Formats: sequence, C-alpha cells, structure tokens
Amino acid sequence: MILVIAEQREGKLNRATWESVAAAQQLAGTTQQLAGGMPITIAVLGAGTGGVAQELASAVVSEVLVAEHPALDPYTPDAYAAACRALIESTSPTFVLLPHTYQTRDFAPLLAARLRKPLLTDVTGIVGTGADATFTRPMFQGKLAAQVKPQGGPPALVTMQIGALRADAALKGGSAAVRKVDVQIDSSSIRQKPEAPFREAKQAVDLAQAERIVAVGRGIKSQDNIPLAEKLAKAMDAEVAASRPICDNGWLPMERQIGSSGQTVAPKLYVALGISGAIQHLVGMKGARTIVAINKDAEAPIFEVADYGIVGDLFEIAPALIAELEKK
Amino acid sequence: MVRETLEVDVLIVGGGPAGLSAALRLSQLQEQQGGEPLSIAVLEKAREAGAHILSGAILDPSALRDLIPDFREKGAPLVADVHDEDVYVLTQSGKLPLPIIPPPLKNHGNSIISLNLFVRWLTTQVEAAGIDFFTGFSGQDILMDGARVVGVRTGDRGIGKHGEQKATFEPGVDILAKVTIFCDGVRGNLTKELMRRLPLGHHAEPPQFALGLKELWEIPSNRLESGTVIHTLGYPLRHEEFGGGFIYAMPDGQVSLGFVVGLDYKDPLFDPHMAFNRFKQHPFVSKLLEGGHMIRYGAKALPEGGWNTIPQVFMDGGLIAGDAGGYMNSMRLKGIHLAMRTGMLAAETAFEAVRKGDTSLATMKTYQDRIDNSSVKAELYPVRNVHQAFGYGLLPGLAFAGLSVVTKGWLPEDLHGHPGHERMKTLAWYYGSTQFAPTAASNATTIDRRLTFDKLTNVHYSGTSHDEDQPPHLLVHTDVCSSICGPEYGHPCVRFCPANVYEIIQDPDGTPRLQINASNCVHCKTCDIMDPYQVITWVPPEGGGGPQYNGM
Repeated sequence: MILVIAEQREGKLNRATWESVAAAQQLAGTTQQLAGGMPITIAVLGAGTGGVAQELASAVVSEVLVAEHPALDPYTPDAYAAACRALIESTSPTFVLLPHTYQTRDFAPLLAARLRKPLLTDVTGIVGTGADATFTRPMFQGKLAAQVKPQGGPPALVTMQIGALRADAALKGGSAAVRKVDVQIDSSSIRQKPEAPFREAKQAVDLAQAERIVAVGRGIKSQDNIPLAEKLAKAMDAEVAASRPICDNGWLPMERQIGSSGQTVAPKLYVALGISGAIQHLVGMKGARTIVAINKDAEAPIFEVADYGIVGDLFEIAPALIAELEKK
Repeated sequence: MVRETLEVDVLIVGGGPAGLSAALRLSQLQEQQGGEPLSIAVLEKAREAGAHILSGAILDPSALRDLIPDFREKGAPLVADVHDEDVYVLTQSGKLPLPIIPPPLKNHGNSIISLNLFVRWLTTQVEAAGIDFFTGFSGQDILMDGARVVGVRTGDRGIGKHGEQKATFEPGVDILAKVTIFCDGVRGNLTKELMRRLPLGHHAEPPQFALGLKELWEIPSNRLESGTVIHTLGYPLRHEEFGGGFIYAMPDGQVSLGFVVGLDYKDPLFDPHMAFNRFKQHPFVSKLLEGGHMIRYGAKALPEGGWNTIPQVFMDGGLIAGDAGGYMNSMRLKGIHLAMRTGMLAAETAFEAVRKGDTSLATMKTYQDRIDNSSVKAELYPVRNVHQAFGYGLLPGLAFAGLSVVTKGWLPEDLHGHPGHERMKTLAWYYGSTQFAPTAASNATTIDRRLTFDKLTNVHYSGTSHDEDQPPHLLVHTDVCSSICGPEYGHPCVRFCPANVYEIIQDPDGTPRLQINASNCVHCKTCDIMDPYQVITWVPPEGGGGPQYNGM
C-alpha cells in the first residue's frame, strides 16, 4: 500500500498534493480501470480540513483517511510527525509519498528519524512500479540525477520535487471512500509554540501555486517599464515574477524572485520577458510546462529551454500580445 | 542592545587546516599535561566545516604525520598517492616537456587530496576531542584593549538590505579570550584589520598574491591514471604574467583542474578567468576533457610572497597562523602543511602562555622562535626571493628559481617586490591611448558552456548562496567607479572578479554605475587585493553564506 500525506492549510488543499497523488499512481501502476497495482491511501491531517478529503476522493485511489485533531492546527512539526507516525504504524504502507514543500521539509526528517526508516527527498522521477521501483533524485545541484533504491524499509518515505510530475496527470474520476480515523497526540510532547503567521507571509505571493507567470529580466531596462509586464500579466491572469537583477534593484519585491536564490516554480505557462537565462534563473523555472521567451539576443541561453522563442524587442511584442489578449 | 559575551581561554578564528591543527594540538597538550581543562572555541564562517575551503591540492604529509601519527588508520581521506608527474611549457598549440622535474616540484611521497574532504575529516577529529566548533559564525571585529587583543566580535544576523533590523535580528557575540589565534586565511579580514591597527607589517616586504581558479571534472575513467600530476607554464599567459595550470587525476575519472594567475599583472584588460578558459581550450587540455563534464567550480586567492612578506605574527594576546600570515611555499606550490605546522606551533605557544598566566607580548614572541627553529623557516627561507624574481618575467624567474636550489638561497641582498595592484598599468600607459572605451577582456575567448564557461554559470557550480536581504559585504567607494576608473583602468573589477560580483551598468545619462552582485561572492578576496585604487574592502557577509565546495 502507498500512503500519500496531503497538505492543506485552513481547509485549502496545496496543489502540490495532486503531484504526489500522480506520483503514487505511477508507482502503484494504477490505470483508469483500477485494475491491479498497489492500493493507494491518501491521508488528510489537520483540524477543520473542510472539503479537502472530498476533493481528493475524486482521485483514482482506494481510500481517503481524515485524521483531525485540535493539536494539528496550527501546524507544528512535533504534532505532524506524531500523527503521521501513528497513521503509518496503523496502515503499514510500503511507501509514504509527500510533496517536497516547506512544511514537508520541516517535519519529514523528524518523522523518518522517529520511525528509523529511509527518507528520499526531492525526488524527480520514479522508474518501475511497486516494491522494486527506483527513484531519481538530483545531486550536485541538479547536475547529476542519481537513481536510488531505499534500503531499510518498508516504509520508505519519499518527497516529490514540486513540478516533477504534473498535478493534472493524476487520474481522477474515482469515488474513494472517505473515512475518519482517530489519532492520539500527546500535547505535552509538542515542543514548538507557533506564533501568528508573519504579516509579510500573509501578503506574500506564493509563486509556486501560480498557474501562469510573466517574468521580467534586465531587458525591461527601467523600473518605469515594469507596468508593461504587469499589464501583460493581468491580461493573461498571471503573476508577475522576475530574475535576480530586477529584485536586487528593488524594482520588484524579493519574494517575486525566481531562481536559485529565489523561488522554484513550475507553472503551466512561463513567459520570460528580456531574461537572458543564466543557469541560476533556469533552475528555478525549467519545470514550467510551456516556456515562452522574448529576447532580442538570439544567442541567449533562455532559448535553449524555451518551447516558443521570439527574437525581438519586448517593447514591441508585449504590447502586441496585450492587444491580442484584450480582444477576447 | 545587549550583547552576549562568552569567555574562553583560547579562541581560534577560522576552521581551516591551520585553525583545526591548532585546536587539535591544544587538546593533545591538555591530555598530555593534565591540569585545569582549557576552554577552546573555533569560529568558522561557513555553514559547515570545509565549505569555504579550496585548494588544488597536493598534501605534503609531514605536519599531518606529527599531528596525527596514525592518520591512515583514522581514515584520513588521502585520495591518491602521487606516482607520475610532468611539467610542460605550453605554446599556443603545442607543449614541451621539461626534461627534468625541478626538485621543488617533486611530489614523491605526497598525496592528492580534496582539501574540503580533508578539512571535514580534521573537523571530526577536533569534535571528537570535545572542542566547540561554531560553524556559521564570522569574525567581524577585533576586540582590543590598547595594543592587546582580547577577543573577537562575531557578525550580527538578521540585518536587512538597507541596514534595518529584521524580525530575525540577533546581535553578534563578544568572545573574550586570553589568546586569540587568527587563522582567517589568505587576506583574512581580521588579520588585515590587525595589520592596520598594530605595526605588524612594518618590516615586511609587501605581500604578494595570486588567484587560483579550479574546476572539478569527471572524464572517462581510463584517460588519466589516478595519481597523475601535471603542471604547466607558459600559454595562455604572456612573459609578463606569472602563473600556470595544474591537472591532478583522482580515481574514477575525477580530475582537479585549475589555473593560477599572479595578482600582479600589468594589462588592465586582462581577465584571469578568461586565461583559465583559454587553458582548457589548449589542445592538450581540451583532449583530456573531451566527453567529460564540469561538476564544481571555485576560486581563491593564494599568498605567494614567501618568507620576507610575512608580517610579525605575534602580539599581546594574539597569534597569526596559516595563509593569514602568508605561510605558503610558492616554489613548491604548497601551503597546507605549513598552515598545519604554524597552527600547531601557535597552539603550543598559546598553551604555555595560558598555563603560565602570562599572555603578554613577551610570551607570545616565543611563537616566532618556535617558527624559526622549525621546518617552516628551513623550508621558506632559502626560497624567500623566488617569487620576487618572477617579477622580472617568466624566464628570469625560472632561472633564479633554479639558481636558488643550487645556492640554497644565498644572495648578497634580498629582492624587493611591489604590491601587485600597483603594477597594474593604466589604459593610457598600456595601450597608448585614452580614446577607446574597452568593452571586453584583452584575452577574451569563446564561451561554449561545455568546455568554457561564463562566470555566472561557473558561480552556479560553486554552490554559492547568500541571503539576498542583507547589506552588501563588499564596501566600495563607488565615486571612483563613476568618475576616474573607466578612463584610467576600464573598470578592471569586472574582469579580475572570478564570480561576476561586479558589473558596470550605464545609467540612462551614460554615467557608468557599479552594480555589486554580492550574493555571487565566492570569498576569494581578489577584489580586496587587486583593485588599483584600494577602495574595495571585503567584510564577512552574514554567517553561513558563501560557496559550498563539497568535494573540492
């Protein structure tokens, strides 16, 4: 059995959970007909998880477990590790899959250590199915991809890199049973005391959740031209992001920076305006499904990863795109 | 604001070969001689041991043997014993082998190592001895009481880009010590400050530096036998430039490949990183690398000046060891064993002083006596003039080096050097014209991102990361950049920095403006050394930031 730990906050599902569901289905050998393959169970943890379990029940999986406990909200690594440990010990899965989110990075190592089980992090691919599957994960900052096989399981804990699989690759159309389970959490064992979230965090954009992104680079030339990118983003219902020099100059806030010292994103559509495509930027966006690059330098490395490239002046092309988009 | 203070007997600043050897030697003396246990702390600015450590490297195991006699049993990661070595003079497309290996370059009995792995291993020995090793803490300021060093203040954390305190702000800690051993490496920021505050360098020759660039490659494993050592002279450098290449073969097709350039070149448009690229394009090197790929990159300055450039390394309450003092043998291309040896001698001095309850200047001076009576002086004194001789060009330098071996370094009068940055010529002097605006390096070459790389791509492979929201840690008087530097030198910082930290952006009105990409900095210190106006000061960024030289 494969256990997927879903991630939600205040009753809202983190989109990356669907990527882990897709990974679990691939690992299980699930087909639309549910024939054969390992069974998959999704676990939803929290207090007041709302419709998250019902939403996930549409996946082609065997079961969705809901473990609600007051100690699970707000999130603390000790409570989550305790609840996950209880779930894992009661369901005895072969693999436990989690999205490689900030929250997972926080508690999964603790969970693995408590269980004394292997933890494979930031996995980008799965080769084979079932208990003999091997997992691909980056080494040397993504220069090498290592094939690893967990030892010392079951279960083996596996965290899936955001964007490694597509959320819409998850097979849906099922109607899995939703079952409530009790978890015991000893509140005296929770060592962390969460404070209210930072105000900045509330305002912050989570670019990882954006489906479309318009990113600007140095080709935008001046802060005065940023509204052009914002206008294009608005016409596309996209978020605005940027490469490092733009944020470094303070033309856009740092939280909108994409790349090795900013965020990693995998939207459906990524439009790069005047971005040359230094490797530091590429590692933050190469998981995007469709990349459109607009740059006047035909030799710019961004064109090596772009699906559609326009060699030209962004100050001519962007307004033309906006005009076309606004016609609709 | 309340600062925490911490009191120790001996504070060691810098967790490299010198600092770790000092720490380990202290604990050994403690064990041998008993008595009240000394409290010892080691500060290291990198997030983890060895992350900022970069070298070729070939280890002369002499100091290691004395520090840890059973180093092989204890698992010292000596990657390959040197068994085959060659020195070539490269021409533009060919190579001439030197008929004999000059004795100083003989490496029989030495080992190829990854200094990063070696330092990580040394750290485990230090930690097993129960010594506090604080990673992620930089030494920001020296605490002094008159002419006496009383400790070090660590860097603040959580300061925003514009100097404001963030929610995560934590003031640095004052670490007070009876003896502080400065092992902050080549052009260490604290040692530089010490030299400014105390008359330590007054009788020394000006220090000399070089910049070393290195890549780790994986090539087909049957191409170069593990343990092979190759050094090159000549191309792509000209007669007026000092330096050369190195290729060290390790098991499984791993190759350490690098290029060293003297930071005393004359051509203001010369770019050391381009020289490294040209070295790799030489048919001899490119054939070795064909079909392989680069997996790591790094850059670091080296102290090349030798014995006469070493400052006074003792003071009231303090000692200097390793590269910070300039203990490197540029003729043998080795310094790790000297760093370890001076670290051990510093530890012996500090231990005795603390036990005696007297850490004054008079007691600390015994460190110099220890060095003078050790293999350090025996090795460095005879070759004290060699680097300075290369100031006259490659051939005079080589001839002099050869002569030094024969005469054991005898000379009626020692040679004098000039600070490297003073040797850089203006555009007008070098090119005879002030009327052109240089746009590229004089030694620019093609970048294919397979064999040759632009600096930004290379920086990615150094694993460098810094919190972006912090003040720049490169303090530059930028007035110089917008006014005289362009016409006089053509902004050489853009070229000598191997990590794309410095960029010149033209403002809309055409004024050049310096953009500092501080988060690219690999902590090599070249800008602090080579800037012709000496207006760049490197200070440590927030602790933990910097390169990640895993396996380098």
